Amino acid sequence: MIGVGFGRRDMLKASAALGGLAGLSACATVPAARPTVFGRRASGKPYLPPMRMNVDEIVDVKCCIRPFRPQGPRLDAEPLGDTLVIHNYGHGGSGWSLSWGSAEIAVTKALSVLPREVAVVGCGIIGLTTAVAAQRAGLKVTIYARELFNRTRSVRANGSWTPDSRIALTDPAGPGFGDVWEQMARISWKAFRSYLGLPGAPVDFSDQYSLSNEPIVRREHPSDATIADSYATKGLPQQESEFGHYADRIKDIIPQARNLEEGENPFPTKFARTASQMHFNFGSYGHLLMQEFYAGGGHYEMRDFHSPADFKTLREKVVINCTGYAARELVRDNTIIPVRGQTGWLIPQPEAHYGFRYNDVSVLSKSDGVMIMNFPPNAGEMYGVNDSTEIPDRSDIEEGIRKVAPLFADPMWRA
Amino acid sequence: MTIARFLIAAGCAGGIAASLSAADPVKTSAQGIYTDAQAAEGAELYQASCAACHGAALGGSMETPPLNGKWVANWSGKPMSQVVDYISHAMPLYAPGSLSPEDNAKIVAYLLKANGMPAGAAMLPSDPAALAKLRFDVARRYEPKP
Repeated sequence: MIGVGFGRRDMLKASAALGGLAGLSACATVPAARPTVFGRRASGKPYLPPMRMNVDEIVDVKCCIRPFRPQGPRLDAEPLGDTLVIHNYGHGGSGWSLSWGSAEIAVTKALSVLPREVAVVGCGIIGLTTAVAAQRAGLKVTIYARELFNRTRSVRANGSWTPDSRIALTDPAGPGFGDVWEQMARISWKAFRSYLGLPGAPVDFSDQYSLSNEPIVRREHPSDATIADSYATKGLPQQESEFGHYADRIKDIIPQARNLEEGENPFPTKFARTASQMHFNFGSYGHLLMQEFYAGGGHYEMRDFHSPADFKTLREKVVINCTGYAARELVRDNTIIPVRGQTGWLIPQPEAHYGFRYNDVSVLSKSDGVMIMNFPPNAGEMYGVNDSTEIPDRSDIEEGIRKVAPLFADPMWRA
Repeated sequence: MTIARFLIAAGCAGGIAASLSAADPVKTSAQGIYTDAQAAEGAELYQASCAACHGAALGGSMETPPLNGKWVANWSGKPMSQVVDYISHAMPLYAPGSLSPEDNAKIVAYLLKANGMPAGAAMLPSDPAALAKLRFDVARRYEPKP
């Protein structure tokens, strides 16, 4: 909880830094930050390690398409000859966050027809989680997919707890969706908590800061009356206010944001708002799930499906369809709307264990690198809608890095 | 083997053979189902519309599937109509369905050639019914002994 409270870790960090300075003082002029006792800088600012924002340290630029369905994820069961297909796809920007709860719904449906074995089609975060959840329910599972987990679109997400990011449009999803969403979110939250504190930090928490020189207010989504069209008339959302927001339903268990008082803000901005947020580290988390899948007797078969009729050719007669964006083509679900997203990655900076948003750029320090997302001014849920371009654009990430670099050039960091 | 058993076995084998020949396309991609000229045009279209993601040499990337080797594994045994149909609907990813049926057939002809399938005298058709009579397959499969 750097910058918010003074934990034992902060004390240790501060004293270690002091020790380091004492050693260095022998070699004269070292204009370095001087954290004093209780994790504060000489200036009185709370001590937080700065991040290096250097375009030469970009190690990856990844692009992916969120499978957004205005009605919310497809979770129905569909008989297909002698085969029962249970759909579990279309989670928009919330697939990671809702994976366990969504898997629970799909597996529960599968159990109701008493299969001993099930096929899971797709091995992104939804498919792999569903496979493991089915094993935990005592079923024998084979995953059929084009790729194993670490080459799927799921590892091109940003991997934060964002359970209602492009998950549905309020009207098409209908009033009943909130309950389904809440069930998925609550189960997932608790399931992820069981991965906290494990080696490699498969799931972790860190403090996220919203930074600005203007007062920071919670983002609202008022309807723009000048826009007459909507999803109902155009088949695509036309404005921000059409998107469903459900997060308040679970605010009893999710850390809420608060504004930092003057003297609490570790950044050189006038204003800061902070909340602790859960995030997922792709490498260690993916390995853990794959290990559990294989240890539980799971099999993988590389296979590309070309039509729903292919499901019937599988020996398993219960098939859980977890194909994400590919479902658009595979089962010809044209309600799936592509929503493009892109992340850039700097080399890992584990000493800077936090994230922030400043100047329309989101930054999050994760175990496999520092993630950068660059947005145009006031970009919201509409950004990337109906864009299925998956070609990475490095210059966009370079621009993002340049937009936040001044934050760490401030003399404050050396005072 | 008794005569009765022999007759049953022969009947089954005959039945399987009959159903195979009835349901199966008459020609496979190992028997020359596109022309060299068509593949050459397809190569140009590929570079313009597909190479940005799948690579100039079809090798794909960490994110994008290769269109050699594994592509053969993914489609073997399927009617050519499915191969062309998929590309027609899903590709290019940034503008699905934007290429004409003829251009899609040319691109598939190029992919066949790039994957070692022989050229023939007739062009790969773009008509789904005609494509359904062709099957994507390799000349020989190397499978483990049963």
